[in-house]
Amino acid sequence: MNTFTITRTGTYLTVQDFGRYHYQHLGISPSGAMDPRILKELEKVIPQHANQFLEFAYVGPSLKVSAGAIRVCVGGDCNIFVQKNNNTQIEHQPYTSINLFEGDELTVYNTIDSVFGYIAIENGLGLEPCLNSFATDTKANIGSINRPLQIGDTFNIKEDVSSWKVVFNETVNIEKQNNFKVYPGPQLNYFSDLALQSFVSSTYTITTQSDRMGLRLQGAPLISHISHDILSEGILPGCIQVPSNGQPIVLMRDIPCTGGYPKIAILASEDIAKIAQLPPGSHINFDL
Amino acid sequence: MYFKEIILYGDRGLILDFGQQSSKSISQEVNAYYHHLKVLGLSSTNIVPSFNKIVISFYSEVDRKQSLNKIQQEISQINPSTTTQNQSTWTIPVCYEDSFALDMQRIQELHDLTKEEVIQLHSNTTYYTYYIGFMPGFPYLGDIHPSLITPRLESPRIQIPARSVGIAKEHTCIYPKVSPGGWNIIGQVPFNLFSLEHPRTSLFLPGDEIKFHAINQKEFERIQKKDLSIDSLIKEYAS
Repeated sequence: MNTFTITRTGTYLTVQDFGRYHYQHLGISPSGAMDPRILKELEKVIPQHANQFLEFAYVGPSLKVSAGAIRVCVGGDCNIFVQKNNNTQIEHQPYTSINLFEGDELTVYNTIDSVFGYIAIENGLGLEPCLNSFATDTKANIGSINRPLQIGDTFNIKEDVSSWKVVFNETVNIEKQNNFKVYPGPQLNYFSDLALQSFVSSTYTITTQSDRMGLRLQGAPLISHISHDILSEGILPGCIQVPSNGQPIVLMRDIPCTGGYPKIAILASEDIAKIAQLPPGSHINFDL
Repeated sequence: MYFKEIILYGDRGLILDFGQQSSKSISQEVNAYYHHLKVLGLSSTNIVPSFNKIVISFYSEVDRKQSLNKIQQEISQINPSTTTQNQSTWTIPVCYEDSFALDMQRIQELHDLTKEEVIQLHSNTTYYTYYIGFMPGFPYLGDIHPSLITPRLESPRIQIPARSVGIAKEHTCIYPKVSPGGWNIIGQVPFNLFSLEHPRTSLFLPGDEIKFHAINQKEFERIQKKDLSIDSLIKEYAS
């Protein structure tokens, strides 16, 4: 048995995968990694990840191996150190496999100019899926582990590592973007030409009231001449909804499955991961 | 027939539009289309019915295009009157006392009603379950008495307590878990409505009828202590 323990959680440490589908009609969100592009890059280094990844925001965790050995890979822009059993410290690079033996402790420091980072572990975390997925929605308490991870959480991995050969993914290309071309939302006609003009010509700031459910923006208020209260309807990650204070909210992976605010626009699916990586205070622009 | 058209939603979604209104008969048609779409074998990620729309999402634009063709071929064969629903009737206790009724004053002031009148208007109606959405096991119930119709909060609350009973527009709801949300909160139920361990997962299902009755804080605590399972809730509160 190979065992490791969380010795520091960092922030918003959860288990994620590519999403939980086919349950939204019961009010269960797709969830999954905020930036699945990184999971795809990690997959090239650790193909046998068993679809169980660790996700963190801003500050990464520490993992200490207490028995056996594991092989991991960190994705995202971050500094990575391993405190070896013999008290030496070694720096590692993202997207490179890291071998950890009994007594070794991996620490991932803060993400740089981005928000989310990930850790893939060969053979996964030894978890059982919940509704066919390992993704965590902490607000809805859905997941293999239905809460953020805590110090002391311990994972047992039965299978042994297949190879200690260090593998490096040299082709990582995670684009950054602040301007987003959006599709019209189902309630586009709830906004006058003047409001739409404000939407595309002003700069919005991502506020600190942002999380895996949505990014709350601040900028020119978008006031509907019809209503900010519609019959609730199904929503998708990337929808931009506008409550009656006029400040748009970009819905992310832990979406409320239906919602009653008018949606002015919706992001291209590929852009959801890009906007997720912009820290609070970032300025963004929309183009319809 | 209320079905109007199919609309593209972003790059990976579709909307089936059933018009601007909400009613029990529209909801029954929406659910008939939903059950038909479910068995078409679309390469969809989710199919989400609501009052007057069905939203379908896909893994890719290519999947959407193929599924759109299939839906367009099949849609004329959908007969909205063929679905049958096994519906339950529920009588659910609610405590409307001040510690739970976060927005009672706002409702009273908006409609010039006493607290007792609000409680009576809310608990004297039998509600129809339109669909489950927003969050796990969250039932959209309606329609509420016209003199209780209230807009959502201007900015959604960051945290609404679990099991809170809310009203917004023509509808009433119960929040199964702690959540952000924009409904006006007027009370709380003393048990959980959602369980991953039970095959039903959600206590209420579309088509169910629900009536509320007011209980005091002491009764609330007595029921809450029992920590009832979905099976016991079905035995005790459904007919």
